[in-house]
Amino acid sequence: MKYEYKKGPELYTPIMMRIISKRDLTPDVRFFQIVPKEEFKHLDLDYKPGQFMMLSLFGSGEAPFSISSSPTRKGIFEFAIRKTGKITNKIFELKDGDQLGLRGPFGNGFPIEKMLGKDIVIVAGGLGAAPLRSLLLYILDNRELFGRLIYLYGAKNPQEMLYRPDFFEMLESDQLELYLTVDKGNEGFEDKIEEGMVTHLFKYVNDIDPKNTIACVCGPPVMYKFVVNEILKYNLEKHNILVNLERRMKCGTGKCGHCIIDYRYTCIDGPVFTYWDVIHMRELI
Amino acid sequence: MRVLKLSKKDENKLYDVLIKFGEVWAPVPKGSRYVFDKIEKKEDLIMYNEFIRTILPIKKFLMPQELNILNFKPSKYEKPKVDIPTRVIVGVPPCEIHALNILDKFYTTDFVDNYYMERREKVIIIGKSSLPDEYLFSHKTNTSIVEEGYDLFFIDLGDYYLVWVGSEKGDDIVRLGSDIFSEDVPVDVAKDFVAYREKRRKAFTKDIDLEGVTDLMELMYDADFWDEFGEKCLSCGQCTMVCPTCTCFNVIDEIELNKDEGHRRRYWDSCMFKDYSLVAGQHNFRESRAERLKLWYTHKLKAFIGHFGSPSCVGCGRCIITCPVDINVETVVEKLKG
Amino acid sequence: MKKKPTLGIYGFTGCAGCQLSLLDCEDELIDLFSAADIKVFYEAMSNNDDEALVDIALVEGSINTNKQLDELKEIREKAKVLVAFGSCANHGCVQAMALGDGKWEQRFKQVYGDAKFTVAIPREAQPIHKFVKVDAFIPGCPPSKIQMLRAITQLLFGNKPTYTNSPVCLECKFRENECLLNDGKLCLGPLTMGGCTAPCPTHNTPCIGCWGIIEEANHIAELKLLKEKGFKTEEIIRRFRMFGGSEIVEKIEKLLEVAK
Ligand SMILES: Cc1cc2nc3c(=O)[nH]c(=O)nc-3n(C[C@H](O)[C@H](O)[C@H](O)COP(=O)(O)OP(=O)(O)OC[C@H]3O[C@@H](n4cnc5c(N)ncnc54)[C@H](O)[C@@H]3O)c2cc1C
Ligand code: SF4
Ligand code: SF4
Ligand code: SF4
Ligand code: SF4
Ligand code: SF4
Ligand code: FES
Repeated sequence: MKYEYKKGPELYTPIMMRIISKRDLTPDVRFFQIVPKEEFKHLDLDYKPGQFMMLSLFGSGEAPFSISSSPTRKGIFEFAIRKTGKITNKIFELKDGDQLGLRGPFGNGFPIEKMLGKDIVIVAGGLGAAPLRSLLLYILDNRELFGRLIYLYGAKNPQEMLYRPDFFEMLESDQLELYLTVDKGNEGFEDKIEEGMVTHLFKYVNDIDPKNTIACVCGPPVMYKFVVNEILKYNLEKHNILVNLERRMKCGTGKCGHCIIDYRYTCIDGPVFTYWDVIHMRELI
Repeated sequence: MRVLKLSKKDENKLYDVLIKFGEVWAPVPKGSRYVFDKIEKKEDLIMYNEFIRTILPIKKFLMPQELNILNFKPSKYEKPKVDIPTRVIVGVPPCEIHALNILDKFYTTDFVDNYYMERREKVIIIGKSSLPDEYLFSHKTNTSIVEEGYDLFFIDLGDYYLVWVGSEKGDDIVRLGSDIFSEDVPVDVAKDFVAYREKRRKAFTKDIDLEGVTDLMELMYDADFWDEFGEKCLSCGQCTMVCPTCTCFNVIDEIELNKDEGHRRRYWDSCMFKDYSLVAGQHNFRESRAERLKLWYTHKLKAFIGHFGSPSCVGCGRCIITCPVDINVETVVEKLKG
Repeated sequence: MKKKPTLGIYGFTGCAGCQLSLLDCEDELIDLFSAADIKVFYEAMSNNDDEALVDIALVEGSINTNKQLDELKEIREKAKVLVAFGSCANHGCVQAMALGDGKWEQRFKQVYGDAKFTVAIPREAQPIHKFVKVDAFIPGCPPSKIQMLRAITQLLFGNKPTYTNSPVCLECKFRENECLLNDGKLCLGPLTMGGCTAPCPTHNTPCIGCWGIIEEANHIAELKLLKEKGFKTEEIIRRFRMFGGSEIVEKIEKLLEVAK
């Protein structure tokens, strides 16, 4: 017979997690730390920066969220979640000790092997700082394995800036070249945060070696075109410009179809795509 | 490959053999069309000569319209334990067997979908060839003849059927039915067979030239006709429901009133619906109907080639029959070819 | 134990069918009464507390008099979440089928002559969202048992009920019906919000749109199609209006223009 009916692991059954702490990052984005409940402790959930998980909330449903923690800091999973609708409203009602379901990790994540030894330019917009934090922490924890680290972050205003205290601290660090900006209203933070679109921070990005640099971009849908245009000016190779995209998702396994772009599934072939993909697939950015 | 003979006078005994393997399902008339329905009495198992396709394809057995995938409590998600009956599906047309082969690949690529698998291993496919009507164009999609994917396959040659055995399960059936399936297949049936093939080949009338459509999808992506189709489209989603290779689903959680438990359900979904690509903050990646139509045809005529080497349209003709405003593979290809 | 959410069920002009279909859910009704603290439900209880503040108000019926309008506004004040319950409250239903044609007063005179109303001064039937903020809705005329109970469960759980933005055709195809449009019948399935499980086309009767208009409804395309099939513009528009409520009013002019 041609066909063998081999079943795989139960991909759609979430395991139960427990919230151990949370804090507000912005008025509508909250940071959650979760760990597996006792009976799931044995599961070794490894992941890559840029991957995402499906979080399930009793009675409200399931949605994808980027992992904001780094696999170098094992055991605890961190998420930065914006309150926008049914599921996320309910997630905001959760208290420490409350439970939620988790399955994953899904997606390709950043191609870490390819990035080793390279200079890294990270460009984040708004909530894009959530998945990029995973990458940032990963690089900082393995600092000797990478070259220069340049990080540009733009938010609407200082209140909307995720992980602001952490970034302020990092401004002092010699481990990375960090630049922050807000669209408007940097009053009180003039020494740390500039005013203007994130593209305007590229004036600080100098002496780039186009053969040895990888750029990683994540932000709201409107941001990509502008940022990628800036990066292209440095003559980076197309496959070295990486974008982390968002689409509607209902499965994470390439079956429900919602995340499809041309012939690729964002949940499997993405969410990290290269600029080469972008010029080959309409609808990508 | 083993080929046996089933005489028409023994056809009425087929049901008794099949029922030993599981429920028997076969096409029964509904209005001017057919549907696969459960056959409860042996005299209801009729191999309609004029049967070509059902309203819904056999995907309804493998990924049902509605499917409870999880039961949950506040502290636990659990896969429901269900008894999936073995179903013998009689009369599956060749193009649908090709669709099944595509679904098999689709549901096992990258990740294996167990819900599909559990149902897939419980169906026995008994295919049957028939002469095309004015809508079928499987000869143009290379899906009019099957080589694999069935357990048994019937070709009607007048007084008897030739029966191909395509799997171990199929072999079990003919063994158990050894009194009606005859091993005695004289060489002169080859003549009948060749004549039938020739007759069938000539009977195809629908001429949809799919050559080069993959490239044309790319080149004509911004053509005006997409907007014209977009204005006409009713967003009813029927085209995707009836297409044998459309697989998209939605997932919805429901809780029981006054109980701390609920269910997660899958429902068939359609890329023709507005919310299909909607994400948080009301950003919609495919706001207009034209954009959604482009996705549908990209998916049917182009995308699968990248994944599986052939397009996912198997030429069954359902979208041609079904779309109330005549947006279908035929009219789209016509426009693509200018 | 968490405090039970409080619930009020109020009725204005309609057939009271929505409340009745709720009463019809015998088994689940007991669950409802134990899951919620029901303050007002005239169709089912005698000890109603009209003054009570409620977490959730289910409002059935359209607004047809000034008195109703005042009452509606009071309910809005008292309710945390106000839910339009059924087609009358959502769209105005059949009593609003001639909405916005400017001939309401004329029709009213034909029926009631010069009668004077002192208590409840009549006005043209309108859906409730024309007057107050509506937080959530339950569609249907009357709502289907499954959809209604799921929606109420979500409301009691503190969620806004969400529906898939899909037309009647989805469920019609789930049930493997042939499409009546292809049979030359005037079916409004593609224009109508799903959730009813498509009983009408399943019984070979065209959908008349009682669930209300779906967001993505393409009335122009359906009008053109139906005209091709030989239907008269007046007939088509009349059908569109039947459950088209206030939404269709905005489209009428364009439709008439296209029809020419
Ligand atoms: C790969 C990926 C990573 C993400 N990472 C984060 C993150 O780190 N932090 C964060 O706050 N948000 C993230 N999102 C977005 C997040 O999934 C949505 O905000 C969330 O689904 C909204 O659900 P809701 O029920 O609160 O909103 P509603 O608007 O009520 O959504 C209703 C339904 O729509 C679907 N839906 C809506 N938006 C999306 C979406 N963007 N993607 C998929 N399904 C959607 C959901 O499945 C949900 O069932 C990510 C999305 C993707 C695809
Ligand atoms: S994306 Fe559209 S065309 Fe493709 S399988 Fe899904 S419903 Fe069918
Ligand atoms: S696209 Fe049309 S003809 Fe092709 S398989 Fe789907 S329904 Fe059949
Ligand atoms: S293409 Fe035809 S069948 Fe498909 S959604 Fe549009 S009108 Fe309906
Ligand atoms: S019969 Fe009516 S509801 Fe059913 S598919 Fe056709 S138009 Fe839609
Ligand atoms: S099929 Fe149409 S008319 Fe019938 S119940 Fe549903 S929405 Fe109402
Ligand atoms: S999320 Fe279902 S296919 Fe990608």
